[in-house]
Amino acid sequence: MKRFPIQKRTLAILVVLLPLLALFVYVALRSGPLAPVPVTVARVENRSIAPALFGIGTVEARFTYKIGPTFAGRIERLEVQVGDLVKAGQILGAMDPVDVDQRIRAQDAALKRAEAQLSEARARQTYAQTQARRYKELLSARATSEEILAGKNNDLQIAEASLSAAQQEALRISAERAALIAQHHNLSLIAPVDSLVALRNADPGTTLVAGQAVVELIDPQSLWINVRFDQIHARGLSANLAAQIVLRSQAKAVQGQILRVETMADAVTEEMLAKVVFDQLPEPLPAIGELAEVTVALPALAAAPVIPNAAIQRNAGQLGVWQVIDGDLQFTAVTLGDADLEGQVQVREGLEVGDQVVVYSAKALTSRSRIDLVDQVHEVPR
Amino acid sequence: MTGKGIRIEGLKKRYGRGDTAVDALKGVDMQVAPGEVVGLVGPSGSGKSTLLKCLGAVIEPTAGRMILGDEVIYDNGWKVKDLRALRRDRIGFIFQAPYLINFLDVTDNVALLPMLAGKSNAESRKQAVELFKALDVEHRAKAMPAQLSGGEQQRVAIARGLVNRPPVILADEPTAPLDSERALAVIRILNQMARKFDTAIIVVTHDEKIMPTFKRIYHIRDGVTYEEAGEGRGFD
Amino acid sequence: MISLAGRDIMNAWGKFVFTGLGLGLLIGVTLSMAGIYRGMVDDGKALLDNSGADLWVVQKDTLGPYAEASSVYDDTWRGIHAMPGVARVANVTYLTMQVRQGDRDVRSMVTGVMAGEPGTPGWPPYLVAGRQITRGHYEAVADIATGFNLGDRLQIRRNHYTVVGLTRRMVSSGGDPIVFIPLKDAQETQFLKDNDAILQQRRRTTANPNFNRPQIPGLLEAVIALQSSNAYVNAVLVQVATGHDAEEVAQSIRRWKRLTVYTRSQMEEILIGKLIATSAKQIAMFLVILSIVSAAIVAFIIYTLTLGKIREIAVLKLIGTRNRTIAGLIMQQSIALGIIGFVVGKITATLLMAPIFPKYVLLEPLDSVIGFVAVVVICILASIFAIRAALKVDPAEAIGS
Repeated sequence: MKRFPIQKRTLAILVVLLPLLALFVYVALRSGPLAPVPVTVARVENRSIAPALFGIGTVEARFTYKIGPTFAGRIERLEVQVGDLVKAGQILGAMDPVDVDQRIRAQDAALKRAEAQLSEARARQTYAQTQARRYKELLSARATSEEILAGKNNDLQIAEASLSAAQQEALRISAERAALIAQHHNLSLIAPVDSLVALRNADPGTTLVAGQAVVELIDPQSLWINVRFDQIHARGLSANLAAQIVLRSQAKAVQGQILRVETMADAVTEEMLAKVVFDQLPEPLPAIGELAEVTVALPALAAAPVIPNAAIQRNAGQLGVWQVIDGDLQFTAVTLGDADLEGQVQVREGLEVGDQVVVYSAKALTSRSRIDLVDQVHEVPR
Repeated sequence: MTGKGIRIEGLKKRYGRGDTAVDALKGVDMQVAPGEVVGLVGPSGSGKSTLLKCLGAVIEPTAGRMILGDEVIYDNGWKVKDLRALRRDRIGFIFQAPYLINFLDVTDNVALLPMLAGKSNAESRKQAVELFKALDVEHRAKAMPAQLSGGEQQRVAIARGLVNRPPVILADEPTAPLDSERALAVIRILNQMARKFDTAIIVVTHDEKIMPTFKRIYHIRDGVTYEEAGEGRGFD
Repeated sequence: MISLAGRDIMNAWGKFVFTGLGLGLLIGVTLSMAGIYRGMVDDGKALLDNSGADLWVVQKDTLGPYAEASSVYDDTWRGIHAMPGVARVANVTYLTMQVRQGDRDVRSMVTGVMAGEPGTPGWPPYLVAGRQITRGHYEAVADIATGFNLGDRLQIRRNHYTVVGLTRRMVSSGGDPIVFIPLKDAQETQFLKDNDAILQQRRRTTANPNFNRPQIPGLLEAVIALQSSNAYVNAVLVQVATGHDAEEVAQSIRRWKRLTVYTRSQMEEILIGKLIATSAKQIAMFLVILSIVSAAIVAFIIYTLTLGKIREIAVLKLIGTRNRTIAGLIMQQSIALGIIGFVVGKITATLLMAPIFPKYVLLEPLDSVIGFVAVVVICILASIFAIRAALKVDPAEAIGS
């Protein structure tokens, strides 16, 4: 072959075949499972992070008044509509009294009769008293017998007893009447406090069982958010922390603070419950039941080694990061501390400030992986 | 590799068997001395090609004797085991069309034979180039066959026939595609080479232009050869 | 001795290379087909790998959660966590659905991952951009195959999610990209259809006199609340503590919790043996047919090339070339053609074909090696016809007649 002349043809062959071969080698080594894995690295930074908690809640009213009859009945009238502001003591409506008015009138008549009986008893008692006194004087003048005086005294005692009975009867009837009036009064549905009508469950004519709410009133000043935090992410949750509230209907965040953390957690959903109040009630008022996202900022922590959470992986049961040491990969187990919501995690043990760790990789890494350091594993537009 | 030329005695060839058998050669006698160029002439179907194929050890004759140099290669049966080596080393072929191998360059077309015989590439090529000098095609040694003229191709073909210094060369219509001037030139070369390498050359032809150049001509007709003296205006 | 095959190729290299290119495209298709098959299998394995689980605890007597629907109570994990040999457990939900972003929607598998830290079973094991989920709600990590970008707002059923992280090669066994969202959202997603459906369900419940009883205030509300909560997950992922045998732990969970548990190898069997079995066979058959077609084409090409050289072969034979040399000439050419074809095929399959397939195409180096060997073997076999034809050539043909 060595005498084979370098001709144009040979050159052409080289021009075609060499790139083909080069491309083949490139393809064989740079693509597929043999290719080095593009990774990005970051250095462990020493910095302070401000952890935050994130929870989801619904707007609720702290005080909800469910106004309804205390016994079964039919609604006679209902004068308020949803959204009406009502004053304390304002009558919202009334139940159908049925026979209460008639019974009060009967009691009125009975009372009059009792009063008549009382005057009669009083007249008898006055006469018996006068008689008894006169026969006592007559006996001291020896103008009558002891026996007659005893008879008059007896008359007096009977008259006094009748008077007492008539008095009690009158009292009884007036008490009964008062009771009926109170009952009548109870048919009215009355606002206990200044509040807002949130719900109107029934309309006049509806028959209700005792205790069923006709209207629900809420105190608009008492709106708060019942927030649920996953227990695993609730470390540091306590009262008086500032909270940022984003209502689903309003993109803008409003400020608030945690009023209290409930003593009872939700055992089923594994969540902690907390009540968050608005610093200033938003206008218009948020709807009861509206979804709210609540972010609670915890105090900033002292500076410590921090890595992005994307760097954390589990390898052979251990939590750790892939460290790049002299271009080689090494899995380092770490103990993690607090984290913030932006994905920064403190490293308690395992890494020093300035260590290089793999953040992003195009595929799962092993200690035998060849790596290719790049700026971005995935092109992010914009 | 020079020898005593080639001698054929009573060579017969029968195709087929029984009733359909055809006797292509019915007893051919022929002798060509080293350094001699003889013509072999005959009409189509005369047995000319059959004789050539027998001589070339491509087909097996039915009976007779063939003596190449001083070795009996056929005596009612092949006496040589490796016919391929026989063809390669001891018989040269020059064809009607040059039949060069067109994917090899001129040098390698010729050098291929010694290579096949087991010589090194360098030595084989040296041999080829030496022949090119003699045949005056040295300047085309690196060309491809397709780039040559007809005459050049035929000269390369002659070089191929000669390269292994065979005692006998069979040339099948070597001048057919050439005009008379070139045809005569080819015959001149064959004569020169025959003398130079002491080779017996049998030229099968029906080319009238070159007839007068042979000293002896074998006519073949119906499977039998007749010897005839030619004008012998060979080239000295 | 010079290489006759090499000289012949050099002489007609343009024709040869073009033939090789054509053959290469065919081999490229064959390699891609093998890649598609490997990709399907790898999709299944990627799903298992990415879940990070050693055991899958699913509803009793189901092939869940990938091959069949499965639901277990979402507090089952607590009991499993207490079993010996269990290192970590996590609930997980899977739901294949359309995820909307702006005007378009993408078919994805929405995976609910339990709150925790990176490394929890079910979480994406690595990212290519962004960060892992930190909030317990309304954040998502999406596979780049979805086409979503960081900061995109996704709509999954009724809720909006912000894409905070991107990952790669996180696909379902069907090749749909995965979108990871917090488990609680996912549970809701799985249950809640859309606002209309919720309203209609409420209305149906309200219309049912058994639930809507005036004498029991609050019953209807309780029933509706019960209907719209979902205390189920699809599976519980378990990581086995070091030093414990996965099958033993699985056995004890099966025995004491009366749930079906699959180990990694069983899961692979389900995914690859059952879920993608027919599609895989389909592709395997196609692969076989393509191989046969390729072999036939190589045979034709070599045969044609040889027939074109019949005269040369006759001359070669006449001048005493051994049969072995002539067979070598043809076979070497055939193999050379195969090698050019393979190189071209590998390049086109990797650079041109694989990227345009919508699903993952995995070109394994071992497959390439097998493919290479197969190509060479096929070329050798294919050259046999041509060699037979060449050896039948009578050297006498070179001698004119």
